[in-house]
Amino acid sequence: MLDLLLAGFGNVLSPQIFVLITLGVAVGIVFGAVPGLTAVMAIALCLPMTYTLGPAAGISLLIALFVGATSGGLISAILLKIPGTPSSIATTFDGAPMMEKGEGAKALGVGIVFSFIGTILSIGALMFIAPSLARVALSFGPHEYFAIAVFSLTLIATLSSGSMIKGIFAGVAGFAISTVGIAPVDAITRFTFGRVEINAGFSILTVLVGMFAVAEVIRVAENAHRKGAAPPAPPLLVKIKGFGFSMAEFLGQIPNAIRSAVIGISIGILPGIGAGTSNIISYIVSKKRSKTPEKFGKGTIEGVVASETANNAGIGGAMIPLLTLGIPGDAVTAILLGGLMIHGIQPGPMLFITQGPLVYTIFAALVVAAVMMLILEFVGLRIFIRLLAIPKHILLPIILVLCAVGAFGLGSRIFDVWTILAFGILGYAFAKAGMPTAPFIIGFILGPMAETNFRRGLQLSAGDFTGFLTNPISGTFLALAALSILWQVYGALRPHKIATLPNVQD
Amino acid sequence: MSRNSELIIGLAMLGAGIGYLFMTMQLPRRGAVDATFFPYALGTAMVGLGLLQVIVTLRRTGFLPSTASERLQPRQILTVMATLGLVACFIAALRPLGFPVAAALFLFAQFCLLAPATQKPRLFLYVVLAVVAAVLIFVTFRYGFRLMLPGGPLTPYLP
Repeated sequence: MLDLLLAGFGNVLSPQIFVLITLGVAVGIVFGAVPGLTAVMAIALCLPMTYTLGPAAGISLLIALFVGATSGGLISAILLKIPGTPSSIATTFDGAPMMEKGEGAKALGVGIVFSFIGTILSIGALMFIAPSLARVALSFGPHEYFAIAVFSLTLIATLSSGSMIKGIFAGVAGFAISTVGIAPVDAITRFTFGRVEINAGFSILTVLVGMFAVAEVIRVAENAHRKGAAPPAPPLLVKIKGFGFSMAEFLGQIPNAIRSAVIGISIGILPGIGAGTSNIISYIVSKKRSKTPEKFGKGTIEGVVASETANNAGIGGAMIPLLTLGIPGDAVTAILLGGLMIHGIQPGPMLFITQGPLVYTIFAALVVAAVMMLILEFVGLRIFIRLLAIPKHILLPIILVLCAVGAFGLGSRIFDVWTILAFGILGYAFAKAGMPTAPFIIGFILGPMAETNFRRGLQLSAGDFTGFLTNPISGTFLALAALSILWQVYGALRPHKIATLPNVQD
Repeated sequence: MSRNSELIIGLAMLGAGIGYLFMTMQLPRRGAVDATFFPYALGTAMVGLGLLQVIVTLRRTGFLPSTASERLQPRQILTVMATLGLVACFIAALRPLGFPVAAALFLFAQFCLLAPATQKPRLFLYVVLAVVAAVLIFVTFRYGFRLMLPGGPLTPYLP
C-alpha cells in the first residue's frame, strides 16, 4: 500500500500533473466562489480538456476542480453572505455575522484551514475504508447491484428538499430519460424517433450542463428586468494577516472538527446526500453539542468550523461509493464517473485489483489538491474577491458559450448543443415547479444500472423474480427501499394537518 | 406556491406519464420481461405520482395566494423568451457563421439583454468583451485543445 501511495505521489508531483492540479484547484475555487457556478459546471466544462490527457493527468485535473470548488464556496459565503455552492450554506450562518463584526479575516482563515483538515481526514477514511469496502463489493452480483440502485434511487428522492412526491417524480423522470436509445440485453431502440444521434442515449454531460448551467442563465434572464429588484451590491475587500486566529482557538476546535468530519464522511458515502446536506446537519449537531449554543448565528468560529469541515469531508466520503461500487452519490461524482469512464476506467470492485496504481494516484492527487487549496486560498483571496465582482449578466453568457463548446466537444455535433438547450429548458421548468434537480440526475445515472442488472439478474435466476428477494443483500436493500418510501409517504401526509393549523387558530 | 400552480404541476406530471406510457405502447414486445418492462413500470409510476400530486393538492388546505414577487411579470417572460431565442439562434448559426462570429454576436446580444434594468447598458464595453471572449475561447479550444470548433466563412483564413 505504501509503495503504491509513494508511486502515486511520484505521478502527481510530475511537472505536468502538478501544474494541472494547481490550475484545477484555482479554477475550482473560482467556480466555487462565484454564486451560480458550481463544482458540477467546473468539472463539466473542463472534462473536454482532459480528452487529450492521459488517465492520471485527466483524473487529477478533475479531482483538483472538485476539491477547489467544494472549498471555494466559503469565500462568497463569508464576504457576501451568499453561499457560492450549496455546500457552504451553513457557512453563511456565522461567517457573515463575523464579517459584520469586523472578523471577516478570521472567518476566512478558519474556513480555509478547516476545509483543508476536513479534506485530509476524509482522504484518510477513503484510503482505509475503500479497500475493505471494495472487497465486500466484489461478492456483489446483478441482484445486489439492482437492489442498491433501487435503494439509492428511493433514498435520493425521499431525502430531497421540499415535496417528496416531486422528488420521487424527478428521480423517475431521470430514469425514464435514461431509457432513450438502445435497450440493454435485447438491443431494441426506444424513443429515438428515428434519430440515430440518440441511439446511444443522451450524454451525462449534456444533461448536467443543460440542467445546471443553461437553466441558471434562464433564471438570471427572468430576474434581470424584474421591477423592484435590488441593484447588485459591490464586493467588500478585507485585510488578512496570517490565518487570523490563535493556536488556542485552533486547538479548541479540534473535537468539533473531528465530529464534523465524521458527519461529512458518513453523509458523503450515502448516495444522493452530498455536502449540501452535511454542512447543515453538522452545523445543527455542533450547535447542540456546544457549551455556548447562544453564540451560534451571531458570529462564532464553531459554526464556520462545523460547516466547512463537514462539506470538505464529503469529498473523500463521496469518492468511496464512486470508486468501490461505481455509484455516484451526487451530480459532482456523477460527472466524475463520466470522466473516469471517458478515460477507460470502470469504477467498481475490480478497480482496486486491475488498476491499483491508478487508484493510489487518485488518492495522492486528492492530498496534493488539498494542500494546493490551502496555499492558493490563503494567497489569492484578494483576486477571488475581484472575480466575484464580475456581473452575472457578463459572466453567465460567457459560461453558456463555454457549455456549448463542451457539448460540441463530445462528438463534434451541433445536435449535442441543441440537447443542452432542451435540458436547460427542462431544468428551468423543474426550478419553477419546485422540483429538485438532483434526483433527476441520479435517476438518469442509476437508471441504466438498475435496468441492466435487473435484466441480467432475471437471466441468472431463469426469470424468477423472487431471486431479488431471497438474496440476503438485495432483499435487505429492497426492504429498506420499501420502508424508506412508506416512511416518507407517511411523513408527507402528516404535514397536511399542520398546514391547516394557522386557519384553525384564525 | 398557490393551489393552481400545484395543480398545473400535478397535471403536467400526469401528462408526462401518460405520454411516456403511450410511446411505450408503440414499442415491439418480446415476452413478459423485455425492453418495455421498465418503461411500463416508469410510466405507471409517473402517472401514479401525477395523480397523487393532484389529489394531495385538492385535499390540502391552507394555501397562500401567490404574491406579486412570485408572479412572473410580462417583461420577465419576454426576457426569458428572448434569451431562449438568442440561444437557439446561436446554436443554429454555429455552422453557417462559424463559432467566433456566432459567439460574438450571441454574447453581445445577451449582455445587452441581461443587463440589470438599474444599470445603463455599456455598449462599447459589451462589443469589446464579446469579441475578446469569443476569440479567446475559439483559440483556446481550437488550438489549445484541438477541438475543431466550426470556423464558418473564416475557415479558409484560419491557420
